[in-house]
Amino acid sequence: MIAAWDGLAGWHGFSHWEYLALMGACVLITLPLEFVFSARVYRRLPLLLKSLLPVVVVFAVWDIVAIARDHWTYDPRFVTGIDLGILPLEELVFFLVIPVCALLSYEAVGTVIGWTKRHTTRRTIADRPTRTARPIHADPHPPDGGDNR
Amino acid sequence: MTPEYTVWTVIGMLVVIGLELFVVRSGIFRRAQYWCALAICLGFQCLVDGWLTKLSDPIVIYNPEEFLGIRFPFDIPIEDFGFGFAMITAVLMLWQRALNHRTEEAP
Repeated sequence: MIAAWDGLAGWHGFSHWEYLALMGACVLITLPLEFVFSARVYRRLPLLLKSLLPVVVVFAVWDIVAIARDHWTYDPRFVTGIDLGILPLEELVFFLVIPVCALLSYEAVGTVIGWTKRHTTRRTIADRPTRTARPIHADPHPPDGGDNR
Repeated sequence: MTPEYTVWTVIGMLVVIGLELFVVRSGIFRRAQYWCALAICLGFQCLVDGWLTKLSDPIVIYNPEEFLGIRFPFDIPIEDFGFGFAMITAVLMLWQRALNHRTEEAP
């Protein structure tokens, strides 16, 4: 905890923010998906929380047990030092940020698939020679019989 | 003995797949949208996780006895991709299930 606030005092202490900054970069980079690709993830907050919270809880528990069983540790130079029990704050942020990035990707892909579908549908309709699209001055009795249904 | 993180990762993946197929049944595995998003996310995981695990200056330090020891790409322990798959699939299936229920109620 002390180390984190020490870090604020001088630029040399930026390393303590490295993990959090990486998470911040993930949020910023995926933000256009919400607006440019109409992901509508943040704008459906109740739906977001409903899908996100169980995942955060389960994977945070996995992380806590893994830390307790010494599967991995964190370099104190690159984290703020703020811990929730044995769980570094950064890890909790990770479990919030990464699933949101995944949802934004999923919805953005959905939007792009929607665009492609609409585009092909329009093309198919335009290319299909329909009765109404036939020019009115067309020969009513073409040599081949004209009725190729 | 198989390392513990490796075992837990395989179990985590199987549990999420089982939940989707038999309990949640959101249908994401039948959607191209899911597979495209998963590929994109795992691609970006290489960058983010690559930074977290780079051996030159790692943020997260793995106990060599608890994972297979295979690091690919960069210095990422391959188990991390199983962890990522489980987490991403879990949130997407819950999201899609909520969307399905919403459209059922709408008309």
